[in-house]
Amino acid sequence: MKKYIVFIILLSFISTYSFAQDAATDSTGVKEKDKPVRSPFESGYLIDAQTTVIPNVKTLEAVIQHKFGTVGNGHSDLYGIYAAGANIRLGLNYVIIKNFQIGAGITKANMTTDLNAKWTIFQQTRRGTMPLSIALYGNVGIDGRNISAFGSGMVNRDYNDLPVTFKPSDRYSYFSELIIGRKFCDMFSMQAAVSFSHYNAVPVGYDHEKVAVHLNGRIKVSPQGSIIFNYDRPLEIKQISEQFSFVHSSLQNLSFGYEISTSTHAFQIYMGTTKSLLPQETVMTNQNDFTKNGLSNFSIGFNITRLWGF
Amino acid sequence: MKRVVKNLIASTLVMMIAVVLFAFVAPQDQKAGAAWAVPAKYKSMKNTAKKTAELEKVGKLLYTKHCKSCHGGTGLGDGPKAASMKTKINSFKDAKFQAQSDGEIYYESFVGRDEMPNFEKKVLEEDERWAIVDYTRTLK
Repeated sequence: MKKYIVFIILLSFISTYSFAQDAATDSTGVKEKDKPVRSPFESGYLIDAQTTVIPNVKTLEAVIQHKFGTVGNGHSDLYGIYAAGANIRLGLNYVIIKNFQIGAGITKANMTTDLNAKWTIFQQTRRGTMPLSIALYGNVGIDGRNISAFGSGMVNRDYNDLPVTFKPSDRYSYFSELIIGRKFCDMFSMQAAVSFSHYNAVPVGYDHEKVAVHLNGRIKVSPQGSIIFNYDRPLEIKQISEQFSFVHSSLQNLSFGYEISTSTHAFQIYMGTTKSLLPQETVMTNQNDFTKNGLSNFSIGFNITRLWGF
Repeated sequence: MKRVVKNLIASTLVMMIAVVLFAFVAPQDQKAGAAWAVPAKYKSMKNTAKKTAELEKVGKLLYTKHCKSCHGGTGLGDGPKAASMKTKINSFKDAKFQAQSDGEIYYESFVGRDEMPNFEKKVLEEDERWAIVDYTRTLK
């Protein structure tokens, strides 16, 4: 069933769009090159997800991602804003060549340092020579906690529950994603993505690998404002699972919010179920269920990005 | 008695400091910008944008994104950031501004100087730059 869902999502992007000629002729008979569409998204970030957008070459992007606790406790902790367990990520990205950026960040949860790269292979063009934007994104996360944090509950314990030797590689997790996006009109852009996550070490009962599908987009409601949404669904694929049954399945994540953008900033405020800021954590560990308890499992969060051109 | 004297000294000190602080209050007027020295190349530059409805929309959109925060929604120079500038932002409605050639407005808008930043790396395409110039023309 799930593979049909993925197939239908991808097909909906491709169908009905024919590949037009690569250059049109203007009134003077001069051939004009088909240019990329303007701003399919305002930033490289869409809540917790990545977009196909990469800023101009030699641009430095600083990002602050902040997620509060869940709103379930109501006014007693100001709807999670004063709750313990807020998560923060500070990151920097730099566009070294056209449509290719590298970045690094550090997240409060597990003090995870991430090194990442994004490459927009194809950009959707205005006259439809290329009807879609296609990007690859990948990161490696390095769990920065003290060694004593590893061991309990980890799979790298022997049958007598004694820890085997800790290896530095146990800190590593990986995320790779193929993103396909389309700006349907000035008002509406959407992306579908498929990802593969891998953790070198996981607690007992968890899988090391997880495939997930993602769907996100924006609805522009004013020149600077957009409604944004993101949905992540980890898939339960028996062929890659190490477990007899999916006891510790991670749950689907839903987020929605509002984005305001200016010349050099994008500000997004949102509500979402995952407490993670790194995509592999969301795919592997999310236990907040948006289908239960109304909005109680949602957290308020915000992103701020700032660009500097060199 | 001792406490009264102490309070009196403290009050006098506070008053004196307040007087000193007020003495350093200077009017925070913004200075008028000097006349632009636009190179001849730009003065005679030809506006190459096609006057299409699509580009008109793009001009307004890009003005809102890049210019509005200082120049204001209607070009009066009253955007939220305008008050914090050292230089007064002139209105696009001024006859003097509108009397300039398109090339002069292009140079002032994208090459910039001092507090008017360079936008050449933020608005990359020529037709988009001209679309913004055309949009400032509509704000008269």
